[in-house]
Amino acid sequence: MNHPAHLQGHLPATHPLSPRHRYAQFPWAARMMSDYAASDLWETDTRRLPAALARIRRRARHFAEQHLRPLAAEADLAPHLPPGECSPSLQRLLAEAGRDGWLSYFLPAPLGSMPWRALRHAPVWQSSLVIEEFSRVCGGLSLLLSAHHLGVMPLLLSGNPRTVLKYVAPIYRRCRAGDPHLVAFAITEPGAGSDVEDGHGAESYRPGVVSTPVDGGYLLNGRKIFISGGDLAQSVTVFAALQGEGMASWTCFYVDCNAPGFKLVRTELKMGMRASGAAELEFSNVFVPHDRIIGGLRNGWAINRATLNTSRIPVSAMALGMARAATEAAVEFAQQYQLGGRPLIDAQDVQLLLADMVAETRSLRSLIWQEARHAWRPRQLHAALCKFHATDRAQRVCEMAMDLMADHGGLHEQRVEKIFRDIRLTRIFEGTNQINRLSLVEDWQTQLLDPDTHSMRPGVSV
Amino acid sequence: MGLLSLSADPEGYGLWEQPAEKAGMLLSLRMLGQFGAVNAGVAFAWHRIALAAYVARQLRLPLNADAPLAATLVPTGHLGLARTSLARWLTGQPPSDEDSALLADWLNRREHDTVLYAPAAWESVLLPVWDQHTIAWRRVNRSDWQVTNCARAHGFDELAAFRLREPPASAAPIVSVPGDPRALFTRVLKMDMLGLMAIGGGALARAQTMATDYAAVRRQGGKLIAAHAAVQQLLTDIESARLRVDQALGSFGLALDEVDLGAVAASRIDVHKHLCHAANQAVQVHGGIGYMRDLGVEKILRDQNMLRLQAGGIHDARQFVAGWKGASA
Repeated sequence: MNHPAHLQGHLPATHPLSPRHRYAQFPWAARMMSDYAASDLWETDTRRLPAALARIRRRARHFAEQHLRPLAAEADLAPHLPPGECSPSLQRLLAEAGRDGWLSYFLPAPLGSMPWRALRHAPVWQSSLVIEEFSRVCGGLSLLLSAHHLGVMPLLLSGNPRTVLKYVAPIYRRCRAGDPHLVAFAITEPGAGSDVEDGHGAESYRPGVVSTPVDGGYLLNGRKIFISGGDLAQSVTVFAALQGEGMASWTCFYVDCNAPGFKLVRTELKMGMRASGAAELEFSNVFVPHDRIIGGLRNGWAINRATLNTSRIPVSAMALGMARAATEAAVEFAQQYQLGGRPLIDAQDVQLLLADMVAETRSLRSLIWQEARHAWRPRQLHAALCKFHATDRAQRVCEMAMDLMADHGGLHEQRVEKIFRDIRLTRIFEGTNQINRLSLVEDWQTQLLDPDTHSMRPGVSV
Repeated sequence: MGLLSLSADPEGYGLWEQPAEKAGMLLSLRMLGQFGAVNAGVAFAWHRIALAAYVARQLRLPLNADAPLAATLVPTGHLGLARTSLARWLTGQPPSDEDSALLADWLNRREHDTVLYAPAAWESVLLPVWDQHTIAWRRVNRSDWQVTNCARAHGFDELAAFRLREPPASAAPIVSVPGDPRALFTRVLKMDMLGLMAIGGGALARAQTMATDYAAVRRQGGKLIAAHAAVQQLLTDIESARLRVDQALGSFGLALDEVDLGAVAASRIDVHKHLCHAANQAVQVHGGIGYMRDLGVEKILRDQNMLRLQAGGIHDARQFVAGWKGASA
């Protein structure tokens, strides 16, 4: 296939007036500061990563292309299944993802699948890389495969080796064997979406799931809603108040979904992210033995917040992956679609639009990698900032792609309309973006109220 | 009820039957707003059906008395608004060779697919075509062209999406415009763009009611969410958008020929961005439940996106406005 030498309005790279052409003719010392090969942007970023993470990024992309791509449209268009049912193709995907290590990468071998060399880097960074690759191909499938990590996180954050060995290790073992044991994270309650994600709201929270002490453990009663992956989970980390107490008593219970009294009530018909279920769970005198209390009584609120701090940067990466998919779809459309005998990409206004899209997308990646790189102990301020900013901007990128395609943009086959529907959830779940903005300030207030204590010079540093 | 133009009666006063009069324009825009408040997808379908009937009357084509709701219209070419070329041609600027070539390609239905969102049972569609250096029209029967059913579209759940392609030997005759083809096409574009804004305004009113009602009963942090500045900002964005739409439509509530198409196109860019933003804010007020199809506010957002993408969308509208003001490619 013959490629044109240049886009309209630009000189070819080989033209004498092309600066890149001339850099190669600079003296050696000048070439060291100017000459470059214009390589693929994804490759450029991957090569900048530490080797272990670069390998993970390449593997994740390959897995997404091989196993997620063929299912993305089908999973989005499929009829809404009764609660708990999963299509055979998604079951195969989960099994393959488990065998390939994508459901167990928060611990290294022999417990999990994290490469030992990746241990030198924050797991949140690794997770963000994987989720970007998966969500680039399909937001819903990405959520299907990542909600499980959110469910497991309280077990890890218990900080108790016995909890990890007793519960996480068998979960990961089954995942690696291709018989995935999925875990869901259950905090949201009817009428209390934001109260469980914000300290100020929690203060006046009226418990929707209550635990009552009985011989040998606790009985759980109440309902949780909008639980991602709750329909396919075999166990759930459930957060419940102690009888007669408020949010300060919140305790994390590790609940077996086969326990008597546990019921999967329904799954929601959602705008997007349709490959992943959002479940309503009912607890009617569900008995939870003492050894399934995670992190100790009354530590649930802190574990919940720490879990959200761990997951909000990967959620940003989820939005990033979708912004990237929208940008790539727009580029492909602009390259292939002809108007007046020329590809759209020859038009200056289209080039301007694509430039904005790629700048937005890569700015998000810079932000996310910067924060993920240092997220050994993810700070609430950084995690919340990433989450609301990346998800808001990612949707804007998707809107640009739809605008470029005009009435073609509403067609499912162009992919961007699905990306929009998928992205839209990321601005709502794990705390609405309004709640995340307030979370940033909540965490920042120590410096805001007494800046001199924490800074070398007066005033608040940003 | 006479709301839709189902006959050739020139005295009818249904949707887009009397746009030459200010009262007829206002009636049509307000009707579409009311329809849009209930269901933007249905409103869009009726809007295009009424436009098809309007164009048919201007072309002196007989209406299909047996199935008047089965005839629809696509007012544009295969993508966008032909950059600056269409606007230059409509304003009577001397077309360059490049303008002519672009318009011929823009309206070429044989080499490019035309996207159609219409009721599943549509039977015919009116389309502009480029013929002898001017815009003429074609009424195409569904059975005569290649029609591809597309998968579910982003919004307009009540309608279906199709790709249309003219076969190599098309039998559909080209119908020349009696009178000034530029004037007719200008009117059609104005009615289409204004109609889309009116439908969006109605849908926004519905979203505003939903968001306000929800904020008045839903509690967070021990008080109603309407008492939180975060939610107040969202509701204010919605109110602000509604006012913008009302002002824009109010300024165009004139006899059709007194309305400037360039101004409509420029206004549309701004209005649809605000309509979509407001619909997003309405979803956001609802939080998680806003994302669920049971409630319906997410559908308003999807429909607002669809309205934004019609009539050439808002990206190319900037080039169109530039052309309207005299710029060339």
